[in-house]
Amino acid sequence: MRAWWSKIARAFGRRSGLGEELSEEMQAHLEFLAERNVERGMSAEEARDAARREFGNAALMRERSYESWQFRGFETLLRDIRYALRGIGRAPAFSLIVILTLAVGIGANTAIFSAVYAVLLKPLPYPSGERLVWLGESTAKATGISVTWLNFDHWRKENHAFESMAGFESADFTLTGRGQAVLTHAGIVTSEFFPLTGARPVLGRLFTASDDDPHAPATVVVTREFWARALGSDPAIVGKTLMLDGSAYTVVGVLARVPGFFGRTTDYYLPLRPTAVQLARRDAHGSMRALALLRPGVTLAAARADIDTIMERLAKADPGPEDDHRVYADFLTEVWTGDVRHVFALLIGAVGLVLMLACANIGSLLLIRMTQRAREMAIRSAIGAGRGRLARQLVTETLLITLLGGACGLLLADFGLHLLKALGPRDIPRLMEASLDVPVLLFSAALTLVVGLICSLAPVLGSRRVNLSTQMKESSTGAGSGRLGHALRGGLVITEVAAALVLLFTSGILLRSLLATENINPGFAPKHVLALELQLPDGRYKTHAAILDFYARLEMALRALPGVQAVGAVNCPPGGGDCGDDWYSVVERPAPRREDVPLTLVNLADANCFQTMGIRILAGRGPAEEDHLGAPAVAVINETMARTWWKDARSALGQHIKLGGPYMDGPALEIVGVVSDVPQMGLDGPAQPVVYRAAAQDADSAMVVMIRTSGDPVTRMASVRRVLAATDSEIPIQSLKSCEAWLGASLTQRRFIALLLALFAGIAVALAAIGCYGVLNFWVSSRRHEIAIRMAMGADMAAILRRTGRQAAALGGIGLLIGLCASWGASRWVSSMVFGISAHDPAVFFMAVTGALLIVLISAAVPLWRATQVSPMETLHEV
Amino acid sequence: MSTVDYLPEEKRLELLQGTLEVLILRSLKLEANHAYGISQFLQQQSDNEFVVDNGSLYPALQRLLQRGWIAAQWKTSPNGRRARYYNLTAAGRKQLVKATSQWERFVAAMARVLAPEG
Repeated sequence: MRAWWSKIARAFGRRSGLGEELSEEMQAHLEFLAERNVERGMSAEEARDAARREFGNAALMRERSYESWQFRGFETLLRDIRYALRGIGRAPAFSLIVILTLAVGIGANTAIFSAVYAVLLKPLPYPSGERLVWLGESTAKATGISVTWLNFDHWRKENHAFESMAGFESADFTLTGRGQAVLTHAGIVTSEFFPLTGARPVLGRLFTASDDDPHAPATVVVTREFWARALGSDPAIVGKTLMLDGSAYTVVGVLARVPGFFGRTTDYYLPLRPTAVQLARRDAHGSMRALALLRPGVTLAAARADIDTIMERLAKADPGPEDDHRVYADFLTEVWTGDVRHVFALLIGAVGLVLMLACANIGSLLLIRMTQRAREMAIRSAIGAGRGRLARQLVTETLLITLLGGACGLLLADFGLHLLKALGPRDIPRLMEASLDVPVLLFSAALTLVVGLICSLAPVLGSRRVNLSTQMKESSTGAGSGRLGHALRGGLVITEVAAALVLLFTSGILLRSLLATENINPGFAPKHVLALELQLPDGRYKTHAAILDFYARLEMALRALPGVQAVGAVNCPPGGGDCGDDWYSVVERPAPRREDVPLTLVNLADANCFQTMGIRILAGRGPAEEDHLGAPAVAVINETMARTWWKDARSALGQHIKLGGPYMDGPALEIVGVVSDVPQMGLDGPAQPVVYRAAAQDADSAMVVMIRTSGDPVTRMASVRRVLAATDSEIPIQSLKSCEAWLGASLTQRRFIALLLALFAGIAVALAAIGCYGVLNFWVSSRRHEIAIRMAMGADMAAILRRTGRQAAALGGIGLLIGLCASWGASRWVSSMVFGISAHDPAVFFMAVTGALLIVLISAAVPLWRATQVSPMETLHEV
Repeated sequence: MSTVDYLPEEKRLELLQGTLEVLILRSLKLEANHAYGISQFLQQQSDNEFVVDNGSLYPALQRLLQRGWIAAQWKTSPNGRRARYYNLTAAGRKQLVKATSQWERFVAAMARVLAPEG
């Protein structure tokens, strides 16, 4: 250390002085020599010549003195690397196993980290993205409520916590007048939105405050992609019009870069303008949320309090039904990634364990190899290599092999990342942006280095124990078979068994949950049913009658297709999630207090819907032809809602549901039927109350037409498209897929995690088995003499097995015990992802323990067999 | 540490690797000395068994300077000549004690190994 420092000081400071000083010093030396020669009786000239001869090559000396001030480490490093490469080549099988093990460990970690980095860690692509806050309204019970325009306007103008605030929502429009009608996606935003997201125009301008005026002409800003794709990159596009849902919008600009805000493709942006109702009433909700930039130094809690003060003031100044509403505010990063954080935490934990196993394996391999090389090390130290020198050589060797492993790991990670993106659920934001970029590469480089240093600890610790005299005297088993070596290897076996057990358990729990969800009875017959999702353009289908007429004609035409058994329409199919909910109350019951009004999902079903999907009618009837607009409003409720209020399904009939609850406007519906539950929120979702209204009484332009076919529904897709085009060629298809695909889509995230964890568990099991095998095998090898002597003294096979097996059993037992405790702890981690079984499912515990036990048994079998095969005669003669 | 002393005279002992530095430290134990003086000292003390090659001596001195075991300063010698005098630092003194005891253990071990078996 000190030598380094003086080298550095010399390099920067007194370098030039060195040459002069040396010359002067050598000159003095020469004169001393010459003086002595003169004293011995030489002439002055002779004396100088003799002195010069005796002194030697001054130039060379100066050279070598300089050298000692330079960093010779680099040269030694090269020599170490050459030596290490030779070492790797000398034990190719060993090196290959180490490199592959590392590649798996580092590859898995890098792939998962690149996903974690893209989804959770990478800064948002907006200026000051870390200060962007997502705002909505909340009550004591719900946080996902939209902001009304009047509230937003007050917040925007009266807050002290934010620099700027924008309102936004999204909607779909049908673009016509440019070839085939296409469904397009719009972001609807106030003018503050673009500065907040750092968007710039390449053509024209973005929105200004004048675009926010409800009476200003309709304008649109298109994205560059949409401009290129749908508008032919028309350089004169600014000033032209787009027909969206039958209305004309003037293009004012083209965006340079898509802010990528709405989590899906956005084709263009429209100005967000309040309707007359929204300007008049503080409880007129749409789907608007707000995005705001927190002032530096203001905390989120302070910002919430600030907005809540405004809400309390408004409740007094402009009282209404929503006086209890407060603000919901959270950082944008939190809103976007809060849900998936635990998923990635779990994955990171799993790959971390895999890496730990890889390290343990490599450590034990190196330790074993070290004991085989103990003689080499002893000899090298005897001929003059210092301990530091040997340690450096060992670290260089290990690091080099780790770097090779890391490089292979990167290749593996690249492949894994492609797989991850192909299999990964689409709803994880920014997962598709994951790549092996600089931070990820830095991560894996650091990881490789740390792993290399940790792994090289084992052989270096081993090498410290090598000493000349004992090593020369000891037999061929090597010095590393001392107590420390055994403790280390025993610890490795325990760790491996425990880690494998934990991974087996968690992946088992998730796989069983997945099976449970896939085998759940959906309450209807999704097989052979096609779902055609449509959204009629508002411009052309303005009235109830027009919408109803279209769907009636379409269903009729579809029914006429060969192979089609039944056709019906629903607003939100099973697995479609929440397409709309509302407060409600039962008219025949006492009115609940304002804050206790319950929520229900609201869906629409036409007369043939339940029959087509095979949803069982438990009591009464489904919607029928007689439930038209003029007739009494009816409702069909699901089993969950019926059970909430009545002792059986039949008692619900004839009672009334009031939508909106007792305190808000909404129709009162007579219950005419009760149907079985379907998994509306996905197969693993909770059962929720649902009210089905008759489609004819509350027509919606967005419906999903369900088509029951006699064979494989996929083969009917082409004819369904044809029929739709024949009915109205200007209606874009939102989606056309099997009903099972709708249900299955809700499971992609679950399937993804279960699959990945199962993969990691598989790798862990393989690594643990290899590791345990290696250690036990070595244990037997190093005890061959002892075993041979025992056999020679008359021990039978059973005694040898008992003795050798006891070691394996003890280590395996401790490993299992620790693994069980850790699994118990881990089960709490995964409990939020468990479905249909207990997080402490005994069957899974049993399977995981059996699996871990098998690892120990299989990896112990061969070494034990080898122990019994020791031939006393041969072994004892070997020495 | 790759310098291995090379002496043309066959009868003289080769210095073992790493020993020159200890010898230099020892030669400076009692008084400061210059390079010439050090080589004279070693030659005399070893009864002419060690002849120190200047090609090893100078780099060795530089290494000792680097480690802070010796320090150097210019002084005038008794016969009036300016020379660079080296003296032991505190760290150098400690190192000398350590190296001496290591050396003694090494010699004893060598002796035990080489001693004729009884």
